[in-house]
Parts: sequence; structure tokens; C-alpha cells
Amino acid sequence: MEAELRELGRELDVPPAASLTAAVRQRLEAPAARRRRMAPWGTGAAARWRPAWRAALVVLAVLAALLVATPQGRAVVTHVLRFAGIELQQEPGPAPSPRSSAALPGERRMSLAEARQHVSFPILVPAALGRPGEVVVSDGGRVASLIYRRTPYGQVRVDEFAGHLDPVLFQKFVHLADVTQVKVNGRRGLWIKGPHELLYITRDGTPAAASARLTTGNTLIWGTRQVALRLEGNLTRTAALAIASSAR
Amino acid sequence: MRRAIDDAEAVARSRDGDLDAYAVLVARYTLRAHRAAFLLGAGEESDDVVQEAFVKAFRHLSRFRAGEPFAPWLLRIVANETRNLARSRRRRAALALRVSAAEPGGAAADGPADEVLAAERRTHLLAAVNTLPDRERQVLVCRYFLDLSEAETAQVLEWPLGSVKSRTFRALNRLRGRLVAGQQNGASRG
Repeated sequence: MEAELRELGRELDVPPAASLTAAVRQRLEAPAARRRRMAPWGTGAAARWRPAWRAALVVLAVLAALLVATPQGRAVVTHVLRFAGIELQQEPGPAPSPRSSAALPGERRMSLAEARQHVSFPILVPAALGRPGEVVVSDGGRVASLIYRRTPYGQVRVDEFAGHLDPVLFQKFVHLADVTQVKVNGRRGLWIKGPHELLYITRDGTPAAASARLTTGNTLIWGTRQVALRLEGNLTRTAALAIASSAR
Repeated sequence: MRRAIDDAEAVARSRDGDLDAYAVLVARYTLRAHRAAFLLGAGEESDDVVQEAFVKAFRHLSRFRAGEPFAPWLLRIVANETRNLARSRRRRAALALRVSAAEPGGAAADGPADEVLAAERRTHLLAAVNTLPDRERQVLVCRYFLDLSEAETAQVLEWPLGSVKSRTFRALNRLRGRLVAGQQNGASRG
């Protein structure tokens, strides 16, 4: 019985842990910082929230932090991080399509209203960007993409999907040092600095080779209860967070 | 590249306020602490619980006895934070544990008969663990899922050693009883 329990323990589903080194450090450094800020910011809600916000901007530590000498540690390294239907891996990705024609499977252009009939999740539109120039539904309604050709930040793309239901829809090949944990409307999000290779994973778990591409600018990933979103473009983190929190 | 430092040195330097040294401990023990928090019932809030535990641990380092192992000392704080969380959300801390879907045993329905039987037994065992009273479940989590010794379990759960022994004994007996009952039901159905 005891041996069986030990074996069972090895098979239990435990979600991956977030790296906490930076967050803990920020919390431990915070008291001194808060005292310094008290005078100009007063004692109101703003003074209490600013450190909390800072603490939320958590840097995911580099891979070294994950190389803990445990079997779980090694498991974390192979599929580095799963978040809202997106798997982040720290390794070289497949060669991106040399043409700029990388596409998701079965892309169909349609109006926003039509798109809402074709997908099973609510499509959110960031009020900060307004109505999208183009709406594309891919892979039989698994992904909806809003494309804004001309914004103050150049072309901006928002992909939306039921990230909390589907196992993995996208794989990203990143340096963990470029990934930062952020908060969007109180929920966890990830900010990925710089271009990285992106690959779409179909329903049966196989990568769609024609979807491989290098992303442009920076990317923000976040989710709500019903939908996961990835925002991509030449955005600063502040702009991306403002756009994300305006999604309705 | 920085030289690796051992726990004792990292603790000693952290105690003097060296946050770099403490970052080494945080990185080294995050996964273990997270697994403990999750399995003891913190669920989705495990990352928050662990973060809180690391902050408190740093502030209480003066109570850490030199030479003592760091892991059980930290896990006691993690277990305590998990209990606080359960109290604050006013519901049972317990969260149904599941077998990872990626495990070969989990999806052996069309495998060889003995694998199917083993998977079935594991499913029954897990179901039985999930219905144990909180304390008995906690003691099994510590002893068998977190691989802690009886003494470490006593430290982590803040129980006397005798309670760890008696609750483990009762929990194992209850599991055996439920498994036998489950098999008899299965046999009478089949």
C-alpha cells in the first residue's frame, strides 16, 4: 500500500510552478521603497496600490532557476511553461516560413458579427484599438484573429481562442529571460519581449508547419474566464497593457 | 558564473540581509514548495501561497537553527500558509487530486489487461485518498507524495510525532478498507 501510494504520488497532476525569485525579492525590497514614496504619494489607495502593482511585474527567472535537482525540475525544463493554451519552450524552434505567407489552417475572412457565430468563445475587442480592420476565423472556429493594419504602433494582431479548454494551440520558442509575468485586470499574463518563433498546434496535437513564423515586435498573453488572447505588435509594455485591459 | 552555494551558507548570508543569497534558496525550493502547497490543497493559489511563504520565511530566518535542513522548515511555513488560505476562503482545503493525463497509466484502457487493472486500482486508490478526512489525507500527502519522513511530517504539519504515526496508521487502514469494499462492489457488478 505504501509503495503504491508513492507511485501514485509520482503520477499526480501538479501544474507547473511560476518562478518566484524576482517577486519575492521585490516584496522584500518593498518596505524601504514604500517608506520613500509615502511623502509624495500620501497614504491613500494610490500609495498602497503602487507597490502591489510593482510586485505584480514579476520577472520569470532564467532557466537556471528552474534547474532544480528534482525530476519535476527537469520536466519543467522540457515544456518550460504552459499558459492559457500556449506552450513556451526554451529551445530553437523550427525554421520559420521564409515567405511572409505563414498562415493558420483554414483561415476565413469574415465580419466580426459572422465571426462571433463561428466560434464557441466570446470574441473580445480592445476598445483602445477600436473596430478591427480585418477579422479572420481559422481551423474551424478554433481561433479568431483581429487584425489592425494601421495603428499608432503599426500592424497589430490579436489572436483569441478558448485557451482554458484546449490543451495547446500555440508553441512559442523563447528565451525565458525575455518573459515577464504581468497582471491584466487582476489576472496573470505574460509579456514577451522581442520577436520569437511561433507555431500553431492543431486539434490532434500536430504542429501546422505552414503556420511557423517569426512574430513582430512584442507579445502580451492574457486570459479571461472564457477566452485567452495574444496581442502582437510594435507595442511598449504600457501600451500593450492598456490595450489588453480595454478588451470588452 | 557564480559559484554554487550550499543551503547553510545561503541561509547564513540571507540572515544578514543578502537578497542574492536568498534568491538562490527561492530558486532551489520553489518547485518543492509549490508541489507541497498544491497537494496540501492550495490549488490555483499555490504560486501565491509559496510567494507568501518565502517572504515570511525570510523575515523569520532568525528562528532557523543553523545546521537544520531548510526544506522541512520552509514546508512548515508553506503548510501553514495553505491552512490560512483554507480558513480565509472558508471552505475545505482539500481539492480533488488527479492523475496527470499524460501518464501512461492514466490512459491504459486499451492496453494489456494487467495495465488496465493497475490503472483501475490506482484510480480507486486516488478516489479513496480524496475522500479521507483532512488530517489523514494531509499526513499521507506529506509521507508518500512529498516523501517526507515521519519526523519531517511532524515538523511540517506541527503535530506531535505520535499523531503522525497514529494518523498514518488510521489512514492506511481506511484506504485498505475502502479498496476492498470497492473491489467487492466491482466484483458483484461484474
